Amino acid sequence: MLASLFLIGASLTTPQMSAQAASQTIVEDSEDGMARAVNRMVGGIVSYARWPDESPDAARVMCVIGTPRLTNRMAPDVPGAGSVLVRRLSAATVTGRSDCDILFLGRMAMADRRQLIAWVRGRPILTITDDDAACIYGAMFCLSNRAASLSFSVNLDAIGRGPLRIDPRVLSIGRSAGGPT
Amino acid sequence: MTGQTPERIGARTTLQKLLSRFHFGITLFAVALSGLTILLAGVSALRGYADRNMELAAQLGAYGVEPALVFNDPQAAREGLEPLTRIPGIARLRVLNDRGQPLTQWTSPMADPAPLLTRMFFPRPFAVTVERNGSAIGTIEVWGDSSTLIDYVRIGLLAGLGCLLITALGTIFLARRFEYELVKPLNEIATVAHDVRLHRRFDKRVKPLGIAELDRLGGDINALLDELQGWQGNMESERALLAHRASHDTLTAMPNRDAFDEQLAQRIAAADARGERFALLFIDADNFKVANDSFGHAAGDAVLVALSACIKDTLRKGDFAARIGGDEFIVIVDPLDADTVPGDLAKHIRACVAQPIVLPGGETYRASVSVGGAVYPDDGSDATALLTAADAAMYADKLSNRSRV
Repeated sequence: MLASLFLIGASLTTPQMSAQAASQTIVEDSEDGMARAVNRMVGGIVSYARWPDESPDAARVMCVIGTPRLTNRMAPDVPGAGSVLVRRLSAATVTGRSDCDILFLGRMAMADRRQLIAWVRGRPILTITDDDAACIYGAMFCLSNRAASLSFSVNLDAIGRGPLRIDPRVLSIGRSAGGPT
Repeated sequence: MTGQTPERIGARTTLQKLLSRFHFGITLFAVALSGLTILLAGVSALRGYADRNMELAAQLGAYGVEPALVFNDPQAAREGLEPLTRIPGIARLRVLNDRGQPLTQWTSPMADPAPLLTRMFFPRPFAVTVERNGSAIGTIEVWGDSSTLIDYVRIGLLAGLGCLLITALGTIFLARRFEYELVKPLNEIATVAHDVRLHRRFDKRVKPLGIAELDRLGGDINALLDELQGWQGNMESERALLAHRASHDTLTAMPNRDAFDEQLAQRIAAADARGERFALLFIDADNFKVANDSFGHAAGDAVLVALSACIKDTLRKGDFAARIGGDEFIVIVDPLDADTVPGDLAKHIRACVAQPIVLPGGETYRASVSVGGAVYPDDGSDATALLTAADAAMYADKLSNRSRV
């Protein structure tokens, strides 16, 4: 908790720090390889997130909004116990429901994105996007593929605002790997 | 004290050396035993700690590299291992993913100070399986090295050397103490025995030594010495008695012929050396054989005792009288100075002898003697000549006595 407070403080004083580039997973050079890498990365991120309802092994619902850029075969591969159910929804329907634990934001209209980010604030919802390489539009985790490798960045501001707890080891991976861009 | 008893050392060893060697052996054995025990206990404890340390390091590494394994990220794995690289005693680290392929590895830039020790303590790497939500996602392997052990081994060896030094010093101290406590009393006994044997000091005794066994030995020796002293005393008095018997006449308790010859030779030598003179009186009882025959041997003895008493009475200090035959006596009048006239002495003896003697049978007997004198060196310069002269003078006197009667 202290760490996250510190992270908030740090992000407020130095806004540039809020978006971090990260982990480079080596990706096999194929459509399948990219799908596997994305699903593994998303599953990994999910496994390091803690929802306030205190049931770590419960199945999480991931609502996919917009068009994912990296892969269309979205099926997150959570290591060990736990699983993720994938639902494809439109931006308008999401705000009316309450069963989404994770929002995966694909390519979508800027207004929708902004509305969704604003709606998520304060709710226990993990946001992941693959359409924001610089990670500046408010999603917590941003996937990007650079030079035949998949990586993710962390938006500490977004994480600090929400009630979700993210394992600091993941934050440090996201923060230190690439450094501020 | 040790100088007095050189035969004690010789080719054999001394008690002190024996004790010293014995002590050193025992102490060395004890130190070696305890040292070995401590060393073994220390090594096993150290091994336990080293194992635990490696295990903790591996656990820490497993925690650190877990997300890296989840995201299959070598750089994150390197960062996850970073805290481990600062722990001393780790030679090598390796992270394997779930398919057994290495994700990252690190080797310490420091050289292993003692590869033998490393092989002994860490023959195999410590491998910890990294798990995520209950499923294995990879393995971390940690190889230890001897850099943390070498100090312990060094200190252990130094301590061992120190212990040996203390052992040696302690042994010397103990040996000294033993010399004082045991060897000194033994030496005392040996000294007494030595004194007794060499100098016939039968009055020497072993003093109380304060050690029960030695005191018993000393007591026995003292008892033995008491007996020896007793025997020695008896022997001496016996010998004195025998010597007296050999040189004296049993009836009159006067020196005999042998003693007289010896005495005369001495007197001649002394007078010769000093240039002095001395006189010899030859005394013979008259008609002694007749008295002996008519009154019996007991009467003869009584007469002889009375004669000897008269002769002894006339002796001055320095004079010497002896019975040299059945009824023959000789007196050495020495020194012969101006005041002394042998004739006076002869007269005195005659007067004494003339007193009636009461015989055992109740009769009285009047004895008479013939006396002849000779002077050294006037009448003879050696014993035979002197005796001959005196004898001749005595016979002349006897003849004149007979003619008188």
